[in-house]
Amino acid sequence: MSPPVYPFAWLLTASLVLPPAALLAQTAPGRGAGTTAATLRGTLADAAGQPLIGATIVVKALGLGTAADEQGCFALALPAGTHVVTYSFVGYEPRTETLTLAGGPLTRTVQLVAASVSTGEVIVTARRAEDNVQSTEMGVTRLDMKTVRLVPALLGEVDVIRTLLLLPGVSTVGEGAAGFNVRGGGIDQNLILLDDAPVMNSSHLFGLFSIFNPDAVSDIKLVKGGLPAQYGGRLSSLLDVRLKNGNADSLRGSGGIGTVSSRLALDGPIQKGKSAFALAGRRSYADVFLKLVPAQRDNAAYFYDLTGKASFTLGPRDGLYLSGYLGRDVFNFGSSFLSDFGNTLGTVRWSHAFNPRLAVNVTALTSQYDYHLGVPTGTTGFDWQSSILNRTGKVDFTYQRAAGSTLSFGASGTWYTVQPGQVTPTDPASIFQPLQRPDQRATEGAAYLDHEQVFSPRLAGQYGLRLSVFDYRGPGRIAEYAGPDGVQKALVGEQEYGKGDRVKRYANLEPRASLRYTLTAASSLKASYTRTVQNLHLLSNTTASSPLDVWSPSTNNIRPEHADQLALGYFRNFHNNAYEASVEVYGKTLDNQIDYINGANVLLNARLEADLLYGRGRAYGAEFYLRKNNGPLTGWVSYTLSRSERRINGINNNDWYVAKYDKPHNLAVVGSYALTARLALSGAFTYSTGIATTMPDSRFEYQGLIVPNVNGDVRNNYRVPAYHRLDLSATWQQQRNAGRRWQGEWVFSLYNAYGRRNAYSIYLRQNENNPLQTEAVRLSVFGTVLPSVTYNFKF
Amino acid sequence: MKRFLPFLGLAAALGLTGCEDVVDLAVPRTAPLLVVDGAVTDQPGPYVVKLTSTAPYFENQATPPVTGARLVLSSSDGPQETLREQRPGVYVSGGTVRGRVGGRYTLAIETAGEHYQAETELRRPLPVDSIRAEYHRDGEPTYTRDGYYIYYYGQEQAGKGDYVRFKVFRNGVLRNEPADLQVRSDDLVDGTYFRGLLLTTNPDRGTPFAKGDRVRVEVEALTADNYYFLNEVRTQLNNGGLFAPPPANVRTNVRNLNANSPQKAVGYFAGYTVRADSLVIR
Repeated sequence: MSPPVYPFAWLLTASLVLPPAALLAQTAPGRGAGTTAATLRGTLADAAGQPLIGATIVVKALGLGTAADEQGCFALALPAGTHVVTYSFVGYEPRTETLTLAGGPLTRTVQLVAASVSTGEVIVTARRAEDNVQSTEMGVTRLDMKTVRLVPALLGEVDVIRTLLLLPGVSTVGEGAAGFNVRGGGIDQNLILLDDAPVMNSSHLFGLFSIFNPDAVSDIKLVKGGLPAQYGGRLSSLLDVRLKNGNADSLRGSGGIGTVSSRLALDGPIQKGKSAFALAGRRSYADVFLKLVPAQRDNAAYFYDLTGKASFTLGPRDGLYLSGYLGRDVFNFGSSFLSDFGNTLGTVRWSHAFNPRLAVNVTALTSQYDYHLGVPTGTTGFDWQSSILNRTGKVDFTYQRAAGSTLSFGASGTWYTVQPGQVTPTDPASIFQPLQRPDQRATEGAAYLDHEQVFSPRLAGQYGLRLSVFDYRGPGRIAEYAGPDGVQKALVGEQEYGKGDRVKRYANLEPRASLRYTLTAASSLKASYTRTVQNLHLLSNTTASSPLDVWSPSTNNIRPEHADQLALGYFRNFHNNAYEASVEVYGKTLDNQIDYINGANVLLNARLEADLLYGRGRAYGAEFYLRKNNGPLTGWVSYTLSRSERRINGINNNDWYVAKYDKPHNLAVVGSYALTARLALSGAFTYSTGIATTMPDSRFEYQGLIVPNVNGDVRNNYRVPAYHRLDLSATWQQQRNAGRRWQGEWVFSLYNAYGRRNAYSIYLRQNENNPLQTEAVRLSVFGTVLPSVTYNFKF
Repeated sequence: MKRFLPFLGLAAALGLTGCEDVVDLAVPRTAPLLVVDGAVTDQPGPYVVKLTSTAPYFENQATPPVTGARLVLSSSDGPQETLREQRPGVYVSGGTVRGRVGGRYTLAIETAGEHYQAETELRRPLPVDSIRAEYHRDGEPTYTRDGYYIYYYGQEQAGKGDYVRFKVFRNGVLRNEPADLQVRSDDLVDGTYFRGLLLTTNPDRGTPFAKGDRVRVEVEALTADNYYFLNEVRTQLNNGGLFAPPPANVRTNVRNLNANSPQKAVGYFAGYTVRADSLVIR
């Protein structure tokens, strides 16, 4: 099964196979230093021994550098000789030392000291200051929790995903809508990883908050383009969320009491200096207040989650890491209706360094999303459950081949089990009969090779290839549908498959490449090409995805989605990296995008695949980003001009139409001002075009009901009014008592400060009193100012 | 089970400040289309077909009738007849065609130089053993107002593929708000004996029944396509909230015989069998 390959894909594939050695040969004589390779390796940590993830090690004279990994370890291949090495990490004083490398390896353990806080500076980035210009990455945004905490939060709940929405290229279909949209893609097209485990539903409270506990997360990275070949499975982006390691020396704690939820996190040594744990939990307690309202006394609505990580140093070259997450949302209406949903994630990773240049990570992980809802007793008693389970094993190697040349390669195997829906009667008197949509099973094998290479002091690149082989498997009676687009397809055949039998195989090659060309010390040009393939599809027929939406693997009827993206960028820093700026343009094409015939029901529909429509998508845009990293005033301005369209046979007369998450203009201004060492004020303003929706132009009467109609069956012919909002917050740190570890801070925030009624949707209804009169209704999720107070502490 | 989705929307709004208000909307004017609203049943008739045309969405008055059309109703059993225009836009049969379970019926419409056609059939009925009225108080699970609620008793016939609509009349008037439109498939309840299926579930405005009310319940057995049509109508008329499906046109079974004509028809020519029961609440 060969995928359709677009012309520019060919072009880049061709450039991939060109021997990089030819390019190296031209530049090698200029290197000056000896040709014997040596390796500098070691660890970077803070004063407490916490690894500084992403801290950088640079030899400026050679333009060579690397970053510390999740354990703070690094290895850098250098020519033998004397080098000036700079270690840096934002928020810490950089350190420079002169080292002489003979032929062999040299090991250093480097501690960086936190930058002085007496200036009241608030630091907004966790990157090497010039990283955005010098790295080959593009379309990448890193956020550390410091930054996330500075952004005014909805109801005081610091939230990773809500902060992402303020970045270029990221948008949402509405307040309280689950997930996020990247560069015109669907919410299911984001690969969200929590310590390597994929998260199938990242939302609490239907999408108001995300499942990531801010006390448990150390940093997050969003990749919108130029995805390394190591990652695959989703079309639009990678959101890599890394959990904090525990402190191996002493016990620490942090937490908060907020309007919506309270949090507590503890971390400390298991065995001092050798192993550590970090555990964080939180629970919302709106339901506690519900009990005060007589009519709501029996209702419950809450979420909780527990996030943990344990790390063990097994020896100088081995580490073992366990990460887990368990979260649940519960909504009960008295005893008449119960529902809950949530994720369960677990990861075990063993990392081993064979020698200073070759290291491996072996990972086993499991991820499950499931939901239940039902009526416990009575004639309508039923329990309905659905789940998706992903079990993966993988091996990832990194090999420092030579100075300025790092290979990454590895392989993975994944087993998917999807339970689309099962209904069980819960009462003998129930009118319902058991119904089970059969489980769907699939396996996926993938292998990749990625090469990060410095071609010359000015030119560096990363290029690679990923191969994925997806098999849709039995057991089950597999139906085949065919027919014209736009109406329910007909069943044309059924075949019985045994356990593990292959029903359909899809093999795909995904070339990836990115290049960086340095113009000056503070500016560069970058380009990237990314092909991605997606074999898991979220079937959602509503404006915002609901927790009940079901994932489907690629099947004999549903084909894999492909995307090809080309991006170009100009990166420029000013004033000694105090300001960083970038402009990126991208264009992408997508195929096998799924939509639904009119009136299709995605839940418990045994013939759902007959109701699906497939088509193409295209998205393009320009992203502007300006960020100020230091001084009392920090923050950023982000503006995205974009378009996202679909063409699906059977919809909109088979013509192009704008996707529901098409948002031509998207602006965010985020600022934080440190008024004094203890008081910081923050504000965030966002403006975006309203979402596209279909609005009827006419109506007809049928049996006394007024039915809306749109001539010509057009889709998304109307824009909901523009969305804009201002949020404000003030963070006040309590005076720290000398000799006491307890430190507290108060966060006061105003969400939607000028109380705009942003339209989530516009819908139509008959007037209650005069059914002949029809009216348009604006639904706002928050129609008013939402104030909140949160108290945070650490000890 | 789809009716549980609004609960989720409600849950999302719990404790939050979600709000709704009526806004003005400018929508373009478009050319009117033919609207068909008619049915053949297993009852004696006459069978009525109303022809109207679509009107601008916010023009808040009755839609205009289509007069002078030629309608021919024919049966798979042989007979056919031309419908008589009783009042402007209202066409009635004269008794030549008689609906029966298993029969197939075709309606041909000629108006303004266009030829339209729709087909339907009559499915086996859903029997009604009885209907009952029960008194419930606000605060009991699932009840939000004091009053009488109406329940259906009867045997769903074995074999999947049965679809029904329940119509509830109060003192001779059909309860016909969008949330009263109740259609059901036997997909999850095939062969079940319904021992008290609540029929009056309109959560917001379904005033419960009171002593002295005359209640009539009609159970219409539909074709699958008619069920989907009504389900789509219900979805489109009750589509507020966070998890609303995207607005979309509902299906129709009336097609222009000239597929290339820009003139399309909307609405439905239905065929259903009717079983009914009534009571007076004392």
